[in-house]
Amino acid sequence: MPVIETRGATVSYGGRAVVRGVDLVIQPGEAVAVMGANGSGKSTLVKAIVGLVPLAGGEVELFGTAQRRFRDWKRVGYVPQRTGAASGVPSTAAEVVSQGRLAHRLLGLPSRRADREAVARSLAEVGLEGHARCAVDTLSGGQQQRVLIARALATEPDVLIMDEPTVGVDAETQAALANVVSDRVDAGCAVLIITHELGPLTDRLDRAIVLADGKVVHDGEPPRPVGEHADPAHQHEHPHANGDADTENLWGSK
Amino acid sequence: MSLDLSILNYEFMQRALISALVVGLCAPAVGVFLVQKRLALIGDGLGHIALTGVAVGFLTSTSPMWTTLAVTIAASIVMELLRSHSKTSGDVALAMMFYGGIAGGVYLTGLAADKGVANLQQYLFGSLLTTGWTEVWTVVGGGAAVALLMLVLRPWMSAICADEQYARVAGLPVAGLNLLLLMTTAVTVSVSMRAVGLLLVSALLVIPVVTVQQFTRSLKATMFGGMAAGFLIAGAGIITSAVQDVPPGATIVLIGVACFVVTATAAAIVHRLRRTWRRHPPPEGEPLEVELPSKA
Repeated sequence: MPVIETRGATVSYGGRAVVRGVDLVIQPGEAVAVMGANGSGKSTLVKAIVGLVPLAGGEVELFGTAQRRFRDWKRVGYVPQRTGAASGVPSTAAEVVSQGRLAHRLLGLPSRRADREAVARSLAEVGLEGHARCAVDTLSGGQQQRVLIARALATEPDVLIMDEPTVGVDAETQAALANVVSDRVDAGCAVLIITHELGPLTDRLDRAIVLADGKVVHDGEPPRPVGEHADPAHQHEHPHANGDADTENLWGSK
Repeated sequence: MSLDLSILNYEFMQRALISALVVGLCAPAVGVFLVQKRLALIGDGLGHIALTGVAVGFLTSTSPMWTTLAVTIAASIVMELLRSHSKTSGDVALAMMFYGGIAGGVYLTGLAADKGVANLQQYLFGSLLTTGWTEVWTVVGGGAAVALLMLVLRPWMSAICADEQYARVAGLPVAGLNLLLLMTTAVTVSVSMRAVGLLLVSALLVIPVVTVQQFTRSLKATMFGGMAAGFLIAGAGIITSAVQDVPPGATIVLIGVACFVVTATAAAIVHRLRRTWRRHPPPEGEPLEVELPSKA
């Protein structure tokens, strides 16, 4: 039974098809990258898979259940695409990571020992065990990204879905991410990761899917970088990295 | 301090003090999530809507507290539906609440000609000193229910307020919790209108929270600190207003604003000092990702 299966998945925003008839199968324990240029529909496809945007056509199944009827969300660990873990009120890294345990908890009941242990373990896995009680808005962009990854790990998922976890983060975070992906794959967890650059991940991936104009144009071996991208010293510019203008609001919440 | 507190021997002062303290304690428990969701003004929006509710009470000769509760809860349901099912953005919906609420209140009060606008005034700016014991117990009951609900649901509420997309993928009942948050705000507004008045109600939701969050690092500390600060601000406001014989709502809010300005200034100074002595491991230890040009 595949972990994720899409058949002819189509998503449109205001009548314009962004994802057009994507067929995708991810087996348990498989590590797959979704690649493609900006606007190729990578993020939209993943949002459709987790149910954040509605399908205009086709089907999505999670663990063999139609996504609309899927309720076993504790099997899915999700790292959304965003540029920080901070919100309008200070929260510690441990508080953010413990959100990953809510899928395991009954509404209104206090956390159990297993929940607290999972939080501590996940923070250690991304190398932030010493930062559990730090406010997330005082952490660096890369550290905040690792907090979000730890939150997904705390769910103890069977599939880890990450939307551009490497955008604008430092080398240490990229290395931590590669380790996390390796460990998860070894533990039998499937991984679906959207990324522009494979970097240290290349050797741990089973497959890469390349999207162009909302269609799959490649499904197989991870592509090797070409042209100037092959140069290890090549620098990417990410205009939206860590530029969360919202963090300074009227009340000066920082 | 040789403050003359003999005024607390009057029963009407005890009633005023109890209601204000309860509101001060309970409002920040809801407000912390509104601030987290960056909806700090929603309490004020519901306060304007509540004006319509008060006028409905005048018109139908029922207790304004219950009609206000009904109208604000209905408004919060409409708000949430608009926000989630249409392209109306949060601030447009808020603007509609401000205009519509005031207009509805004044219009309906006009229809109930015998009551007059003077009566509306005591709800606009609060009139704690005329509260009866039944009203005090309603405030205590409503406030306790709201605070208890928010304390028990804290991790869930903070998850939907911090990152709604993640909360949805985690399988949390996001729509239900959003509605619950707006409805508890509506309850808070309705029960606290006698204490601080409808136009100032959002102050006690927001000010204690933004005051303490200048120095807190966790949501838990912000929530409990906010509740404590609200309690102290409301208490200080009531006593000051009684001693000076000025309206309690305005006094409470002014004390709150003063506390915020003082702590925000202090926090800015402390943060500047702390930049040199950081308390937690700084991000500087990470490798440089640029090659520094070698000096010729």
